[in-house]
Amino acid sequence: MSKGKRDRSAAKRIVEQQKAAERRRRVTIWTSVAVVGVLVIAGLIGFGVLSKKDSTDASKLTTPTVAVDDGTAFAVGTGPVTVDLYEDFMCPICHEFETQAGDTITTLIADKKITARYHPVAILDRASNGTNYSTRSAGAAAAAAEGGKFIEYHKVLYDNQPEENSDGLDNAKLIELGKSVGLGDAFATAVNDKTYDTWAGKVTDTFSSRGYTGTPTIVVAGKQLQGSNGSIPTAEQFSAAVTAAVG
Amino acid sequence: MHWGKAWPWISTVARLGLSAVFLVAGGLKITDLDESARAVNAYRLMDYDTAKVIGAIQPFLEIAVGLLLLIGLAVRLSAAIGALLLVVFIAGIISAWARGLQIDCGCFSKGGDLAAGRTAQYGWDIARDVGFLLLAGILLWKPRTRFSMDGLLMGER
Repeated sequence: MSKGKRDRSAAKRIVEQQKAAERRRRVTIWTSVAVVGVLVIAGLIGFGVLSKKDSTDASKLTTPTVAVDDGTAFAVGTGPVTVDLYEDFMCPICHEFETQAGDTITTLIADKKITARYHPVAILDRASNGTNYSTRSAGAAAAAAEGGKFIEYHKVLYDNQPEENSDGLDNAKLIELGKSVGLGDAFATAVNDKTYDTWAGKVTDTFSSRGYTGTPTIVVAGKQLQGSNGSIPTAEQFSAAVTAAVG
Repeated sequence: MHWGKAWPWISTVARLGLSAVFLVAGGLKITDLDESARAVNAYRLMDYDTAKVIGAIQPFLEIAVGLLLLIGLAVRLSAAIGALLLVVFIAGIISAWARGLQIDCGCFSKGGDLAAGRTAQYGWDIARDVGFLLLAGILLWKPRTRFSMDGLLMGER
């Protein structure tokens, strides 16, 4: 091989290497741009889905006329101490709390010591095999409140609480339980039409925006009440908190 | 076998593994954005309105990163973004742990507060996320993989 020939082939190799490097550089730039673009689009889709949901919810929202606290709770009793109870009808610990302290609450209401405000939140929809029992039962409770039977219906729902991760009670059963406490056709229609299901979402959002994350959340005169080690308060602890709030 | 030849295969496994992690994590949350918002809210690091936005965007981002890794586009950058997400998640878990919160990390579920009687498994959550971070680390170090868009576009065989 002559010297000239060797030089030419070396030059050719260098040009090829430069071309390949140039291609890699171009590919890297454009794929990076594509990645950033994809992520921005994904973020915008997420934001769009959220805004769309918020506006659909706003248009579908029916607030029960009897609801208090910005339309997110049902008040029982007329006592001076306000007690807020955030409960999910699917939540076993809420059931436990109702079993332990339900009678005490009923007595305190009857003695005009407290006003109990029930907030039927729906945070356990995942625990009913896709039937959204938490939302459906909260919506049904709102329909019961419109029919003037909230506390009665609240009781039968806990007495008949389905197991977590079961299908929950179906609408027919929810209506049957309503009939058992004296609710009529308007109630049945509201359950079947899911009239208050969107409202249950609003109650849940209000609950979250107040910084609460678990059920039951029990708030006596604006102060969250917990038992020892973050457990649910006993009936005695509950009474004591009410007495303390009266001052 | 020479290590130089093995790396693209090791990286391919890391890429597909990390891709699956993000796709599953995002897929589990995307079906219920309300839950996702509450999972973010449970960390008590921001107000609920912000948590709602983060909770809605996060699953879409996770799926996007998962898909980008799956097809192997700009692997080094995609892995870096995945690593960044993981670092944020780990920081969140550590902060929840440090403040003594009892929450489900919401990593592969919809999260939220734990029921009374259940204890948070923060140590395991962090160890698992660090494992994923290691996969991302492999890709940052050796981003060349088989069956990738990058390879196709670079004209590799």
